[in-house]
Amino acid sequence: MKSRLRVFPLLTLSAFCVPILLGLFGTWLPAFGYLPAIGAEDFNLHNFRELFVHPAFPGALRASLISGFGATLLALFCSIWITLSIYGSLLWRLLVRLLSPLLAVPHAAFAIGFTFLVAPSGLLVRCISPELTGFAAPPDWQTVKDPYGLSLTLALACKEIPFLLLMCISGLNQLDIRRTDWIGRSLGYSRVRIWTRLVLPRLYPQLRLPVLAVLAYSLSVVDVAIILGPSLPPTLAVLVDRWFNDADVTSRLLGAAGATWLFLLVACSIGLFLAAEKLITTCAAGRLVNGSRTTVLDKVRWLGNTLAVAVMAVSALCFIVLLIWSFARSYRFPDLLPTMYSLQFWTKGLDHATEPLYITFVVGALATCAGIILVIGCLENEVRMQQRGRRANGQQIMWLVYMPLLVPQIAFLFGIQTSAVLLHLEGKWLSMVGIHLVFVLPYIFLTLSNVYRSFDARYMQVAVALSGSPIQSFFRVKLPMLLKPVAFAMATGFAVSVAQYLPTMYIGAGRFMTITTETVSLAGGSDRRVIAVYALCQFLLPLLVYCLALFLPAWLFRQRKAMQN
Amino acid sequence: MKQIKRMSLLGLMLMLLMQTAWAAGEDPEWQNILQKAEGQTVYFNAWGGSDVINDYIRWAGAQVKEKYGVQIKHVKVTDIGDVVGRILAEKSAGRTAGGTVDLVWINGENFRAMKENGLLHAPYTQLLPNYRLVDTENKPTTLMDFTVPVDNLEAPWGMAQLVFMYDSAKVAVPPRDMHELLQFARAHPGRVTYPAPPGFHGTTFIKQALLELTTTPEALAGPVAESDFAAVTAPLWAFLDELHPLMWRNGTTFTTGASEMKQLLNDGEILLSLSFNPNEAGNAIASGELPDTIRTYVHKDGTIGNTHFLAVVFNSSVAEGAMVFINFLMSPEAQARKEDPAVWGDPTILAMNKLSVEQKQLFENFPRGMATLSPGELGKVRLEPHASWVEALEKAWIARYSK
Repeated sequence: MKSRLRVFPLLTLSAFCVPILLGLFGTWLPAFGYLPAIGAEDFNLHNFRELFVHPAFPGALRASLISGFGATLLALFCSIWITLSIYGSLLWRLLVRLLSPLLAVPHAAFAIGFTFLVAPSGLLVRCISPELTGFAAPPDWQTVKDPYGLSLTLALACKEIPFLLLMCISGLNQLDIRRTDWIGRSLGYSRVRIWTRLVLPRLYPQLRLPVLAVLAYSLSVVDVAIILGPSLPPTLAVLVDRWFNDADVTSRLLGAAGATWLFLLVACSIGLFLAAEKLITTCAAGRLVNGSRTTVLDKVRWLGNTLAVAVMAVSALCFIVLLIWSFARSYRFPDLLPTMYSLQFWTKGLDHATEPLYITFVVGALATCAGIILVIGCLENEVRMQQRGRRANGQQIMWLVYMPLLVPQIAFLFGIQTSAVLLHLEGKWLSMVGIHLVFVLPYIFLTLSNVYRSFDARYMQVAVALSGSPIQSFFRVKLPMLLKPVAFAMATGFAVSVAQYLPTMYIGAGRFMTITTETVSLAGGSDRRVIAVYALCQFLLPLLVYCLALFLPAWLFRQRKAMQN
Repeated sequence: MKQIKRMSLLGLMLMLLMQTAWAAGEDPEWQNILQKAEGQTVYFNAWGGSDVINDYIRWAGAQVKEKYGVQIKHVKVTDIGDVVGRILAEKSAGRTAGGTVDLVWINGENFRAMKENGLLHAPYTQLLPNYRLVDTENKPTTLMDFTVPVDNLEAPWGMAQLVFMYDSAKVAVPPRDMHELLQFARAHPGRVTYPAPPGFHGTTFIKQALLELTTTPEALAGPVAESDFAAVTAPLWAFLDELHPLMWRNGTTFTTGASEMKQLLNDGEILLSLSFNPNEAGNAIASGELPDTIRTYVHKDGTIGNTHFLAVVFNSSVAEGAMVFINFLMSPEAQARKEDPAVWGDPTILAMNKLSVEQKQLFENFPRGMATLSPGELGKVRLEPHASWVEALEKAWIARYSK
């Protein structure tokens, strides 16, 4: 048992480290001019020079930086402000309940709904037209695909707030907030001061990695940027993606240079964030104890309520606008609702989406199952090691787990693709599940690890004492007792797999058309009614699995009262 | 009496049987292909941006599955140029069999790129029974793809012509050439746009503008390397520089293609749209995507027309299945369905005088809606510039406007 369990950390590490390292090197070599497949065999800096003088480069870099940093800072600020203003209130509890469905929404579906919402011909303008605005035709406003990437920034921030909120909650669970609050209040600190002086300094270390993951993601996202981002030039990540897929194969060298540059950009940005954090802690250290009890910020605490409502409302409206479009037949501006309805796009769309949905489901299910086995193996190994008095370095483990989330996908997928072509592995089920596993693993680990580690070891001791078999005890006592969090972690992993766009595109060789790749390619300019049906399918698949994860354990243990909650 | 009827029926069936046996038996090579094709799965990489076309491909796939046991998988791509790059990468990596792409829907510069790089299957269209029905005499673009000889490397699938659309409820007189378009944009600032190259709709618009505006149109018939690019295209850039500030979003953002233009036209955000399918407006009105006040028009000196093709990839392991599918797509049955405005509305490549009476009948009695132009109204078809102009124009456009 001992030796067998020790395999899991090794297996898990190699499951995501090997592809990422292989992919990074496979991208760096062509960046420096070495890609024998197309006859480029000498090392030079030519591609980087070409990258820097490319007419689209400055604009693309600007859009990437704005949307990357903008979305991260906005999401961080909003999630902290929401937490500090409404923590513990009724609204907070509602928000917490809604977090899982909000998180399960795939980015692409959210982006499409967001477009239908804020576009000049979108639902928001329709709501007030023509009565208030006098618009008979949509105004010539740049509310989506604007050259600075502001709409992209806003959508990314909206989508990332639930994630950071969830991370806030899990961070707060490890702090004793109630007592901090008591002490703070008894000393006369205002609510905002309690949070900024007493809670935040201890909470932020828990948020650090998630925030960096959001930063890396926002700087390098491709699918959302295709749907909502600027087009001339697009963001750097989209530009790199285009170069990788250009009909002119020498563009791949340029793409590799761009991907490498993006990797460096993300690395520097992470460094910058860490340095800024250090700087703020140092500068603010004196102020922490300056005794100030109130702040002007107390006056804008209400903003948190508004923000919380706004985050929920935007997601709900995205869903509603997709629903409207999917049932529309004739839906012209400035009509608030369609003038004619039809079921034809659902009957047709569902028929067409069957195969993509099936592929999405199978790939997601296989990756999730593999992921959960690896993660449970690792955690069990960790627990046993701890029992023998050996402690693993938590911080190091976390950095490793976060690696797939900190390295931009576009920076290493090309390298994996070329390796897969060489090994004749592209477009195979194995490679498909393998590449999804890389991104599914960290999320399963993150959702499961805390609960798993805090499982009361005495249950196992009793079980082993009674049965004499650790394996039996594990499967008959520990696993059933942990079924609920395990099912939840699997649902999270599945949702992550569903949302994967780039990995499916680069490794699938066009043979794996998932609901996400279909939706994104349709979003490029197809019938809105069809896009809406596909986006809703993409919306609903992970939601269904979440519901299953919620109700299945409850149903299985319906006769065990203590396991209901 | 009954007996006689039955006898004649039997005779008719026998005749029919004999005819098919004769037609098929005529070519053992085709028989061989049909045999090999059975059970193959063909990955058909084709532009997937139009729901109507996707539905048609789905129908055709179901037909060949039933008739010949060939399974078609439509890989929906946003730009077929991407796929050409991937095939080239496969070739460079030494994969000469078992490629991931079997069949592509292409024309123009992508065909030229594939031909030059040896990415196409050996000439095969002469083997297809239905190729004999193609109107190669009156449709020269079925033999010369953007002036590049087809050489039996790709099979013609349909005819296309650039047309424009407007909403007759909002616009009384649409602009009939590029100069009028500029005036129109001045009168309606922010309500005119065109798709961004290198998307093929955008590139076609640029080529149309170039054909209308250049002072040396004869230079466009030859390779770009043989002419003074800057001089030939100078009027085009002058025109675009003037047009862009008047356009939708001040010309800082462009649409991705005709599908997005169609949506913006429906929203009323723009007043003019374009399409490569003369029947698109009628089709979209029928599906509720556009209001019934939309009309089609062309520029007065004619618009660009071309043929789109199907090509088998050199490293496909299921070339036979692909050929069977192509032959079906060229059949009168499939071509007639394709031309039906209620289905797709893509004009046929077949010659009516080569068809039997029954086959010809399939093409008659399509209801031509108010939005569809008659062949006379469609006017002169302008030939595409040489394929090499595409890349040069796209590069120059991106360098000028993608900042």
